[in-house]
Amino acid sequence: MKLFKTLGLAVAGLALSVGMAAADDRPVVGLIMKSLANEFFQNMLEGAEAHEAERGDYQLLAVGMQNETDFESQINAVENFITQGVDAIVVAPADSRAMVRPLIRAMEAGITVVNFDVALDADALAEQGVELAFVGPDNRAGAKLAGDALGASLGEGGRVVIIEGNPGADNATQRRLGFEDSVSEYGLTLVDSRTAHWETEEANQVFSTMLTANPDIQGVMAANDSMAIGVVRALESAGRTDIAVVGFDNIPAVGPMVEDGRMLATVDQFGQQMAANAIDLALEVVAGGPQLEGWVRTPIELVTQ
Amino acid sequence: MMSDTQTVGSIPTPQRGLSVRGIINSAGIGLALLLLIVFFSFASEHFLTPNNITNILTQITINLILAVGMTFVILIGGIDLSVGSVMAFAAVVAGKAITLPGLGPAELILLATTAGVLAGLACGMLNGFLSAYWSLPSFIITLGMLNIARGAALQVSDAQTIYSFPRAFENFGSLLISGVPVVFLVALVLVLLAWFVLTRTVFGRIIYGIGSNEEAVRLAGHNVFAYKVAAFSICGLTAGIAAIIYMARLNISSPIAGIGFELNAIAAVIIGGTSLSGGRGSVIGTLLGAFIIGVLANGLILIGLSDFMRQMITGVVIVVAVILDHYRAKLAGNG
Repeated sequence: MKLFKTLGLAVAGLALSVGMAAADDRPVVGLIMKSLANEFFQNMLEGAEAHEAERGDYQLLAVGMQNETDFESQINAVENFITQGVDAIVVAPADSRAMVRPLIRAMEAGITVVNFDVALDADALAEQGVELAFVGPDNRAGAKLAGDALGASLGEGGRVVIIEGNPGADNATQRRLGFEDSVSEYGLTLVDSRTAHWETEEANQVFSTMLTANPDIQGVMAANDSMAIGVVRALESAGRTDIAVVGFDNIPAVGPMVEDGRMLATVDQFGQQMAANAIDLALEVVAGGPQLEGWVRTPIELVTQ
Repeated sequence: MMSDTQTVGSIPTPQRGLSVRGIINSAGIGLALLLLIVFFSFASEHFLTPNNITNILTQITINLILAVGMTFVILIGGIDLSVGSVMAFAAVVAGKAITLPGLGPAELILLATTAGVLAGLACGMLNGFLSAYWSLPSFIITLGMLNIARGAALQVSDAQTIYSFPRAFENFGSLLISGVPVVFLVALVLVLLAWFVLTRTVFGRIIYGIGSNEEAVRLAGHNVFAYKVAAFSICGLTAGIAAIIYMARLNISSPIAGIGFELNAIAAVIIGGTSLSGGRGSVIGTLLGAFIIGVLANGLILIGLSDFMRQMITGVVIVVAVILDHYRAKLAGNG
């Protein structure tokens, strides 16, 4: 019985939001993000909400999901947006293959789709015979910026390790490739490369063991700042100040570490503006502008002391 | 599936602390641990070095603390899936407290520690109350709490990592006493306390009793409800303590900390020979179980095994431990 009541409320809520969308003649943009438990996306959401208030000429409907791998709720969100008849969907796909088909359905329904943050799988798009532009940072180039900073500081033959993100995640793969680009360009020696699933405590454990196995490490490339924090703590516990650490994301918590030299560098990809920029581009298309093409690169910047 | 709070008729030996068979069981696990240590010592020159031993002790600390509380819950035939999330919630509450403006470092540390531990305790108490009052499977109640506490952690912290703690607190996490991390000593004290309570007090005997024959304990005139709430409260309390240790070690508190930690804690308890159906096991076994997991995680990296192989081997060890438990249960049944 309770279930039916909740269901009824949900249906009423949906009807209400459809009604609202119809009553307002400003364009409606559906924003689909990844896990809002991740502060990167939380900041992005806040950036998008500020952007909506600032522009005032569109209506924002934003959804996130429970965790990084929960792409089913993203698919549901796309379907809900189709039903609600939004004008544009701006999406950071949780799975670059699984999201292709639902988004094609949205395009068939006449909705402008803009893909940001993580690119949809090119092969899967080609298979379906569609082209879709991607708005986002070059994770590989970003990681290479950080890697190059480390390479320049260590010089040829520097011994480094990589702490990777989730195996299989596209941005984790791109960042690893970017680090490996730096390794070959600067002639560094890659001693070991392991995942710590983006997480501070795991990075702390995994890295302290890697350090035991290879005490002669000179540099660490962490695929995000949360893991870099774990690495920095492991170095402090081991009393090592001779090892350089680079990260990625420029979260506030690493600010002091870059400042006092415990971290050599991190990379800012301006996540807070990323969704807002993608929304701007989507609204241009909705207003009758040309379709987006190829890869619209968003800024990345190396952050050092 | 695990039977929750229901009595398991095949285990007729309640109210037993550290029995002869219990010692043999623990010795078996100890032997397995010893074999692992010997293997890794030969396989890697770095394994049996003072620094690496310090590392292993630091690395198992949080899992061990969570597993101590989990032992109480599993002994009464329950399970707590929420400890990872509760730890994150407690860490965020403590993190908010410790970064309050206008207080001295000593006051902040005291306030934050109290707030974090109480937050954990409150979640555990709620788990115990809800599952015991309505006789609901703790599996489901704590699954609910897993989401409630995680959501609360994200809500309280606005999904941001909290940082910049008092210097003394930050240093505490990497403090060593002749090579032994102080945080590990905290865990060890908890193990000894739990061992004393479980084997030397009436409270402990009733915990075992509830797990093996709840009805008998009830008929003997004990308030089973109160003991169940107490077991879950202890589990929440240890999650709160683990949160403080997490913060001291990593100098941040993160609302996404501890995802999946409940599974490692359960694994430590089960590998340590405590029966998933309750009534049988010991916290000393849990200590050894946490060591086995920690030594595996550390040693497999040292010998250069890939991440994926490492995950598989850890899984195999858990499965083997449960199969061994099956035979132990049979032995206990026949003995």
